[in-house]
Amino acid sequence: MSDETMSARDVIMQRLKEKKSPQEGAYPLPPVVTLGDQDASPERFEASLALMGGRMLPLQDGEGIEQAIKRAFPELRNLCTAVPEVEGTLRIEDLETHEQADKVDVMVVRAAFGVAETGGVFLSEVELKDHLADVHLAQHLIVLLSKDELVGNMHNAYQQRSEFRTAGYGVLMSGPSATADIQGVLIRGAQGVRSLSVIWA
Amino acid sequence: MSNRPVPHAKLAAEFLEDEPHRHFHDERLWDMRQKRDEQMHIMPEWQELREQASRLKEHTLAHLPQYLEQFEENARRNGIHVHWARDGAEHNRIVEKILKDHGHSSIIKSKSMITDECEMREYLEPKGVSVTETDLGERIQQLDNQLPSHVVVPAVQKLTTDVAKTFAKYYNTDPNIDDPHALAEAQRNAARPVLLSGDTGMTGGNFLVAETGSFVVCTNEGNADLSANLPNLHIATLGIERLVPRMADLGVFIRLLSRSALGSPITQYTTHFRRPKKGGEMHVILVDNGRSERLGMDDFWTSLKCIRCGACMNTCPVYRRSGGQSYGSVYSGPIGAIIDPTFNARKFSTLPFASTMNGSCTNVCPVKIDIHEQLYKWRRVLAERHEIPFVKREIMKMAGRLLAQPTMYRLAISGTEVALKTMPRFVLYNYLNPWGKHRELPHPVKETFHSWYKKNRLNRTKAQHEETQA
Amino acid sequence: MKIGLFIPCYMDAFYPQTGIATLELLEKLGQEVEYPMDQTCCGQPMANSGCNRDAKETEALFIRNFSKYDVIVSPSGSCVHHIRDNFDAIEQTDEVRHVRKNTYELVEFIHDVLKVREFPWAEFPHKVGLHNSCATLRSLRTASMSELGEPFFSKPKTLLSAVKGISFAAPRRPDECCGFGGTYSVTEEAVSARMGLDKVTDHHDAGAEYIVSADTSCMMHQQGCAERNGVPIRFIHIAEILNGARA
Repeated sequence: MSDETMSARDVIMQRLKEKKSPQEGAYPLPPVVTLGDQDASPERFEASLALMGGRMLPLQDGEGIEQAIKRAFPELRNLCTAVPEVEGTLRIEDLETHEQADKVDVMVVRAAFGVAETGGVFLSEVELKDHLADVHLAQHLIVLLSKDELVGNMHNAYQQRSEFRTAGYGVLMSGPSATADIQGVLIRGAQGVRSLSVIWA
Repeated sequence: MSNRPVPHAKLAAEFLEDEPHRHFHDERLWDMRQKRDEQMHIMPEWQELREQASRLKEHTLAHLPQYLEQFEENARRNGIHVHWARDGAEHNRIVEKILKDHGHSSIIKSKSMITDECEMREYLEPKGVSVTETDLGERIQQLDNQLPSHVVVPAVQKLTTDVAKTFAKYYNTDPNIDDPHALAEAQRNAARPVLLSGDTGMTGGNFLVAETGSFVVCTNEGNADLSANLPNLHIATLGIERLVPRMADLGVFIRLLSRSALGSPITQYTTHFRRPKKGGEMHVILVDNGRSERLGMDDFWTSLKCIRCGACMNTCPVYRRSGGQSYGSVYSGPIGAIIDPTFNARKFSTLPFASTMNGSCTNVCPVKIDIHEQLYKWRRVLAERHEIPFVKREIMKMAGRLLAQPTMYRLAISGTEVALKTMPRFVLYNYLNPWGKHRELPHPVKETFHSWYKKNRLNRTKAQHEETQA
Repeated sequence: MKIGLFIPCYMDAFYPQTGIATLELLEKLGQEVEYPMDQTCCGQPMANSGCNRDAKETEALFIRNFSKYDVIVSPSGSCVHHIRDNFDAIEQTDEVRHVRKNTYELVEFIHDVLKVREFPWAEFPHKVGLHNSCATLRSLRTASMSELGEPFFSKPKTLLSAVKGISFAAPRRPDECCGFGGTYSVTEEAVSARMGLDKVTDHHDAGAEYIVSADTSCMMHQQGCAERNGVPIRFIHIAEILNGARA
């Protein structure tokens, strides 16, 4: 196969070099820009998250993270955790099959950082302990996020966060899974998590 | 693939006949356009972003070979297998080969227009490979055996009742469900076991990053992250034009993409793949399929800037009233009308004429493609290649001749009655009959401006002149 | 400044009153205007159909008729758009370039060149819906475009605002194309007519008694749609209002 694909590659490259209409000199590389609102405040993050269908889960007085989760999900049976702050019913590292993950009611993870502009949280194989699909199989997601790990907007995110260059898999989740594919009705919780809640921690 | 010109006018007329579908389709897409406008209004930097996005894409296209090489080198270094496909058929063979090498036969796949463009399902399914679309809209279209109607919302031409009927057939649900939530839940429940048992995950991709060898997939449902990560084999198909030079350039595109498409600040999932997961294998197939040829077309190469947001479709008054199926192509609406003829000039010869050339598409395009001007240029190209109907060509030839001869022209229009007698029947048939089908004709008048002017200005001036002389 | 008046073919045949109003208005504004008797068309129908070569002789005739004038004015945005932006079936001689550069749509001529803002003779005690044709809006740029989010401006509205008694309706989709599109109106008649009906309905629902426009071709189509569907709304060219028409 390699011969065949090599030749396809060469053919495409040759076509591109021979036929290209835009001339290189006429289109210089524009410098990187940082535009728009760069406010990286937790308040902006919270507002954006709400717009994307996510929600904040504020801790009540004297309440621990695990208590808050149980308060938010009283029916909770399987609480899977990827963070030391929460004990849960099983640890993400102990998930052996995806079928197991499919039965998880709530998954708790810590995000590397958040984006105030979009309410997005960044998760990679580091935070997910290599359980990339399992986080999306869980019914609900709780994300721990430090207020010190916020960037203002997407320009800031790509320029400042090294994770985009180091992670093998990196997802910016901005709110839960959603669809509006049937008659334009917005439905939160399409194929992935049904809800996404952020706890400042 | 049939070569017959897509009868857009006829298919659109049929779509218009059903009031509930017509009305919903127009309002739904108009609402998406309004939501896009709202985002634009709260971002003073909007036009600057568009300009930057356009310049980045133009630069990348002008330097495409070098950025492709850079991407390939970095992706390979990260452990990604990179393949090249000259056309759709070659792409499909590559996928088939990868599956065969692994003894795999079930693909779970997220929405990607390019695999539809390659007609991959049609190729693989007869060979015993199951391909399951996991995006809700794309799944609906797959079950109904239809092309996507829209690049972002593939089943937007349907109502809840249509989906309920389709799901009843395949998922044994109640055909009378009228709650979209219940149908989405049915899809979730039907998709989970398929997702868990699929042996190969496929995705498309929105961007390739040359600098890091990464690719980015933007979705809302979470199905791409599931499809890519559940099996140990992930194949991603992307067109060679999807490149951006630097990771930092994504800031511009990600900020524009979902805002232009749906009016949401970002897609729910913006996923960056840079290397295979632990224990997994990752393949990227870079597809040409006519793109290199298009890059050589002076008037049309900038259509390769497209990031598939669908904003031009949402704003297009013709698309909103025609429905995506009337374009007979994977890519419908204004962007479809300028790129489809590059795939097949005869089959899609009608599409550049499926436009009033109002220009709204060009204004909403986040990468500033001059869509309506390319529509105009395509018309010329198609007429010169004789890809427009014979009758139209003859009428235009005749009109051109008549309008160049003032005396003959005056005679021809000297009264509506005279005009009706002098114009050949086929002109009347082709122009006056369709006009009158849903519209009244203009009212006849006593005299033309020409004759009024002769009486009231020329003769008056002459009379005044004679008066002065006397 | 000697003005050549271009009255497009459909206006000449079906809407002579608009041509007359344009001429009288320019005369009221003190202009020396001539209507070359041998004029026919600008060539747009052929060019827009892709048959650009067939527009060559028509364009040549246009140049013969109009090259002697300092400026050419026409009460038709789409024709001016063709002349200015697409008139290239014939060789681009100095004469052709002169004509293309100095052809104005009536509103922009009054607004930008004559810079007139007062029409003391004009009174139009009606609520109007302003229809900017796509050619005036997105090619000639006589008004701000909703897609760009630019600060509001509207040359036709600025002129009309000087008319006594006039008021403006606010349709839901002010920038939406009405579906005329030249030959599009017949090649895709169903979509075209639907767009036309939606357009006149939008204006009517917003309370407009009249649709006013700088493009008669759009209105010819809209009027046809309104009459067929019984939408009670009337149509008038901006030249007629500015020239003093009361109804």
